[in-house]
Amino acid sequence: MKLHYYPGCTLKEKTTGLDLSTREAMMRLDIELVEPEGWTCCGAEYPLTEEKIVGLAAPLRILRQVRDEGGDILVTTCSFCFAVLRRANKAIREDPLKNKRLNAYLRDDIKIDPWTKDKTTGFKDYNGEVKILHLLEYLRDHVGYPRIRSLLKRDLRGMAVAPYYGCRLLRPQAELGVDEPDQPRIFEEFLEALGCRAVEYPFKQECCGSYLSVSMPAAASEASYRILRSARLNGAKAVTVTCPLCFYNMDHRQEAIKETYLDFPGLPVLFFSQILAWALGVDKERLGLEEHSVPTEGLFIDHPAAEVRS
Amino acid sequence: MTAQKKDKRIGLFVCHCGVNIAGVVDVEKVAQVLKDYPGVTFSTNYVYMCSDPGQQMIIDTIKEKHLDGIIIAACSPTLHEKTFQEAARLAGLNPYQIEIANIREQDSWVHSDKERATKKAVKIVKSHVEKALQNEDLAPIKVDVTRRALVIGGGVSGLQAALDIADHGYEVILVEKNPSIGGKMIQLSETFPTLDCSQCILTPKMVEVSRHPRIKLLTYHEVDSVSGFVGNFKVKIRKKPRYVDETLCNLCGECEKVCPQIVPDEFNMGLSFRKSIYMPFPQAIPGTYTLDAEHCLGLNPVRCGKCKDVCEKKAIDYDMKEKIIEEEVGAIVVATGYDLYTMQALGEYGGEKIDDVVNGLEFERILSASGPTGGTIRRPSDGKIPQSIVFVQCSGSRDTEKHNPYCSKICCMYTAKHAMMYRHRVPNGQAVVFYIDVRTGGKAFDEFYQRTVEEDKVLYIRGKVSKIFKEGDKIIVWGVDTLAGKKVEVEADMVVLAMAMVKADGVQDLLKKLKIATDIHGFVAEAHPKLRPVESLNAGFYLAGCAHGPKDIPEAVSQASAAAAKVGDLFAQAELIHEPTVVPVNDELCSGCGICIAMCPYGARSLDPERGVAVVNEILCEGCGACAAACPSGAAQQRNQTDNQIFSMLRAMLRE
Repeated sequence: MKLHYYPGCTLKEKTTGLDLSTREAMMRLDIELVEPEGWTCCGAEYPLTEEKIVGLAAPLRILRQVRDEGGDILVTTCSFCFAVLRRANKAIREDPLKNKRLNAYLRDDIKIDPWTKDKTTGFKDYNGEVKILHLLEYLRDHVGYPRIRSLLKRDLRGMAVAPYYGCRLLRPQAELGVDEPDQPRIFEEFLEALGCRAVEYPFKQECCGSYLSVSMPAAASEASYRILRSARLNGAKAVTVTCPLCFYNMDHRQEAIKETYLDFPGLPVLFFSQILAWALGVDKERLGLEEHSVPTEGLFIDHPAAEVRS
Repeated sequence: MTAQKKDKRIGLFVCHCGVNIAGVVDVEKVAQVLKDYPGVTFSTNYVYMCSDPGQQMIIDTIKEKHLDGIIIAACSPTLHEKTFQEAARLAGLNPYQIEIANIREQDSWVHSDKERATKKAVKIVKSHVEKALQNEDLAPIKVDVTRRALVIGGGVSGLQAALDIADHGYEVILVEKNPSIGGKMIQLSETFPTLDCSQCILTPKMVEVSRHPRIKLLTYHEVDSVSGFVGNFKVKIRKKPRYVDETLCNLCGECEKVCPQIVPDEFNMGLSFRKSIYMPFPQAIPGTYTLDAEHCLGLNPVRCGKCKDVCEKKAIDYDMKEKIIEEEVGAIVVATGYDLYTMQALGEYGGEKIDDVVNGLEFERILSASGPTGGTIRRPSDGKIPQSIVFVQCSGSRDTEKHNPYCSKICCMYTAKHAMMYRHRVPNGQAVVFYIDVRTGGKAFDEFYQRTVEEDKVLYIRGKVSKIFKEGDKIIVWGVDTLAGKKVEVEADMVVLAMAMVKADGVQDLLKKLKIATDIHGFVAEAHPKLRPVESLNAGFYLAGCAHGPKDIPEAVSQASAAAAKVGDLFAQAELIHEPTVVPVNDELCSGCGICIAMCPYGARSLDPERGVAVVNEILCEGCGACAAACPSGAAQQRNQTDNQIFSMLRAMLRE
């Protein structure tokens, strides 16, 4: 089965591990991920930061393309892309003024084929027909945990993982509605379906520092340190994330964190898709672990599921 | 009808209402134009029709000109219709021959163009002349009153209302769903701002209620259904089986000793345990044990039966059944109380998962001498005496985004009391209060709060708490100090949340049975927020206490007394008067289709199965006209608002 998938820029450049492991895992679930043709950057946070509506054109072009290719669902793994796409979609669906003005722009699009130089015009108005899902939601609502459980190839019972939600997966709840932002369960249930132990700790929705990584690195270090420390004290052997920016702050920044906070011995950070792929039997080499700053050795112990069960 | 129309002598009185009407509508012109309108024999204008001279003018003119119908062109009929009806009655004219043409709210107040507003006023008045020509003399409907009241809820409001009504000399039935009366107030430790013991001031009232010759106390009973109407309600009350004969039980307590089932104690907010056969608290009224069937091993001597074996009085009866009691009452006081917002809803504050984060009522039990710790302040998780407590006001209140938008009113005061009590009992302990505002509107309230801050050195931080979580043995509270403009982190041994007050759990089912209106938060709605604060819009229902919204004890008691006084007003009348402008059924025209029955929001209409026509209970009919509009055959015609009258009015309006 084919499923539209929007990787987003970061997954193509900085965090290919998230992209690679997602593709490998979905293949094990008999789902082929298809990228919408000619996709662009979703605009990251900027389309939503001001009242100006033209910034929403970029995410909506992507969604229109999905619709024109016959897709009705688009999945993403990056929390930022997810939030931008879903909120842009909601805006065009529910705000008549934004819908009118954006479609007035988008109607005049001219698409030029890079090879044949053929021009395509006359786009049909986009009214929010595509449904945007984070992969976690897709796995919960469309694939279903029982099916995932039946396909598990490895036993992850030894793995104690702290799910880290970050901000963009859950908030603003009124627009995203993935889960209750103060007591979310979606990530925990996902990990438990894979056989892991989901570690309960109070910092799972606290901010990692986000863009402060650029302007105030010390503040980002402090924010990430608090999360990692809390996860470790509560017994986590790793933290798992859905967002490339969280990954950057928590993983790449750990060298700096260790220099500031001498008591902190380090904690591996994984993408949720890497754990999924591993549980479904993907080889360690295909998880994209080489780009991690914090060593992940010792986490991936190969216990075949059947062997343990018998 | 036509004959009457021709003969009628209509008088028109146009009111200036100072400049309210005259500023926009040319009142003299209105009176002038209508002078020659068919049916009008007299027409004038005056500055204030509702004033004494204005009314006297109406009375004199009716007598002088032998008027048999009058139009007052003035403000909305909701304001002065009664005034002018009374004036008509004094002049010997049937009050239902009065028509109010609203040229203020529907004309002068909403328009500015004098010429067009005047034109509109003329049209409005003309349409009322057409209606008045066809008005009939009506007599109010009279009905007897059952001078007996039902009070639902045995908390302080219900107790006060029952006592006051009984002291007025009327019988009262007090229904309480729990095994004992006392409500939430009996669970409190001390009461602000005087710090008198809650049990000490409430138990005398409880005893008085139980001993009062005119109060029939039904504890462990619930209202099953209510039918009828003001002055004549029929109530079915469900008696829940207590499995203990309260007349035989001598409180020896042997049954409790042998009962093997341990259950969280509701009276102590689950902070301690009781047995399955229990007495809620020592001063419970009625003084009897109650067997909680839900937690009992099975009401079966084969499975357990220990309590029955040891009961010397033979008071325990496993075969007791539920029973329905029927009572007739004339008025119903709803005093069903409140509950606290659930902690699960506040995920950011731990969502009930942290043992040492408790709500205000739990802390009351911890403070109480009769509580689970005997009045020593100990935290639930390990029984340690907390060396620091953080109090969080407005937990779940004043939050338009996620929780309840309203202020729960009592939390500022009880938090000050909690912090003060804590500082008295743990002198070295640190008390920190997070607040948005401190609202101390009440007699001696602010002085009490000042004492908490100045004498008892409680630290008040202005700002909300964003997150509460556990780290090791400590509870970490994150908040903001909005005066300093800084984030703050406080370590505490225990946290007390001043939880929002919300409608009582499950009360919506009862209110649906009573068919009375609630506000958007599920609290019982009053008839008028300022002028009729203790009555429901539905006649015969009165409200008292927190069923109506958050309030403190003095306010709840005052409201209960006010509701009782209103019940007294009702019972003091020889008979009740009901507006005659109801919608009767014309048997000749009615086909028995039943559409009007479905339309009626008051349950006033039903089908007579023998004659196959609709019948109406005129006392229940509020004259809304829904049935008249829906009736396909014209059999439902509202008195003095018939289809003919409405069409005549329309014609007058549309005729240029």
